[in-house]
Amino acid sequence: MNIAQRLTETFREVFNDPTLVVTPETTAKDVDGWDSFSHVNLIVAVELSFGIKFSQRELLTFRKVGDLLRSIQRNLDQA
Amino acid sequence: MDMATTSEKRAQNIGYACTGAHVDAGLGNRVAMRWISAELASNELSFSELDRRSNQFANVLGALGIRPGECIFTFLPRTPEQFYAFLGALKARVVVGTLFSNFGEDALLDRLGDARPRAVITKRSLARRIDRVRSQLPSLTHVILIDDDPLEEFGHLSFWSLLRAASDRFETPDTDPETRSVLHYTSGSIGKPKGVVHVHASLQHQRQTTANILGLNSDDVFWCTADQGWVTGTSYGIIGPWSLGITQLHYGGGYDAELWLRLLEEQRVTVWYTAPTALRMLMREPPELFRQFNLSHLRSVFSVGEPLNPEVIAWAQRVLDKDIHDTWFQTETGAIMISNRPNLKIRPGSMGVPVPGVEAAILSDDGLTLPPGQPGDLCLRVGWSSMFRTYLNNESVYRSRFRGDWYVTGDKAYCDPEGHFWFIGRTDDVINTGGHLVSPFEVESALLELPEVAESGVVGVPDDILFEKVIAFVALRGNRTLTPALDLKMRLHVSNRVSSVATPQQIVAVPSVPKNKSGKIMRRILRARYLGQPEGDTSTLEENA
Repeated sequence: MNIAQRLTETFREVFNDPTLVVTPETTAKDVDGWDSFSHVNLIVAVELSFGIKFSQRELLTFRKVGDLLRSIQRNLDQA
Repeated sequence: MDMATTSEKRAQNIGYACTGAHVDAGLGNRVAMRWISAELASNELSFSELDRRSNQFANVLGALGIRPGECIFTFLPRTPEQFYAFLGALKARVVVGTLFSNFGEDALLDRLGDARPRAVITKRSLARRIDRVRSQLPSLTHVILIDDDPLEEFGHLSFWSLLRAASDRFETPDTDPETRSVLHYTSGSIGKPKGVVHVHASLQHQRQTTANILGLNSDDVFWCTADQGWVTGTSYGIIGPWSLGITQLHYGGGYDAELWLRLLEEQRVTVWYTAPTALRMLMREPPELFRQFNLSHLRSVFSVGEPLNPEVIAWAQRVLDKDIHDTWFQTETGAIMISNRPNLKIRPGSMGVPVPGVEAAILSDDGLTLPPGQPGDLCLRVGWSSMFRTYLNNESVYRSRFRGDWYVTGDKAYCDPEGHFWFIGRTDDVINTGGHLVSPFEVESALLELPEVAESGVVGVPDDILFEKVIAFVALRGNRTLTPALDLKMRLHVSNRVSSVATPQQIVAVPSVPKNKSGKIMRRILRARYLGQPEGDTSTLEENA
């Protein structure tokens, strides 16, 4: 399973929607229930799923799924 | 003897008052709504169009066999369809409830199972949550989706297909002011959420406070940022302003500091009604951001949902050059009861004074009026028009909320010698997080559904942004420890079963949850332990907790 697929699985788990499809261009406006509360759940779930820890600075840069994907890749590369 | 004429009785119908009344008065071309979608597409809708769309929906309900007195719900994010359905249902004298789109399956089942609606208006991505509990909702005959291409499975109907097939003419029937209108569910610290029943007579107080407290007039552009799942979103995001023919801005997206400021500027909003949590988030933005926007046309800013800290008022005066006026009301009161307002000198941190027509007092446990400065139960004398009429299927709890002629709000407060009221706290354990009331009982129940959890206790503790945050204490079964994976599992379970706003901000593992000798969770002890404060009287505490 590649990063994008695993991230999609994480989204589905967090938002309890087995049909959810996310792309690099997906933003919070495109996913019902992606509010500031569930965003925290999402970040925790992503960190746990990929075994990484985002910095506070990184967290502020996430505007869309593509930002998240790049940050995951960067963290994995540095691991 | 009832002397009201047919037209007077029709005018008392909220749906008609917000739409057809303006058309009949020759004001149909006036802009009712400037709709800005989450993707920033904009659209204007006149009162004539709002009237026709809501007429169509009223006819749809008739065609589906949904009769006056029956109930429907909207389960939608902010969308224009919300307004057509809400007003159309009221025209048809069908009771309409609104549900937050972040509700999970348990929260939906509690509310829909109690109200037994005939239809739910929702969208495909949210309908899955309804479908998962639909077998337990035998009265629910129609799930209507606003999507362009609704799924045929599960018997879903298409909102827009139904609307297009319906006549846009509808004669609003005579409506007795005591006819049931709006149903909002509110959380308590024990038991299931309660359905707060309002009637069309609420229109009078909602309209008066919109005019006299918010100070709206026909030239204003008004923006109420509240979701329609909340009483503010219906009383002041729909009923009050539209019954006065006022143009409203409605934005389909969530909080975004820069975008909100841009909307205030570009849409030339004159009166803004928002929440302390949003204002506290704005306070974190650099002052330079605010200098980029011209807010000179913004005449008044009001706040509702949680106590407004004095620091926010001082910040707004310094950075926005505006006063922020706090208002106080509850789902049960239906409209503003106590407020600061532009013609009164603000006392930062105070709730303000009672609005005209409302009598408030601080009462002792035995019903005596307490003198200024002495804390007690904030109570309202019965008689304002927007007062709830009962809790659905729970008349005994409704009656318990009254002490003689006084409605007991559940808030502790005191009154100063000049008649300003000051909030102290809740008398129950309900958590106010970001303006949303969260029932600790609902969160505790959800946590107990997990096999790893033996006991749970949930409290609210102060938070700089949210006013209160949800903290959960769990005693785990066997030798389990609270791993990051289990922590996440619990968070997601609460989020998906109750709602995202109910998600604990922190989960603390404890050997056992303190209870009294009759098994009641002692949340004040949990709160004190979390905050490092004295535990107070522990004489009723079960040993070894």
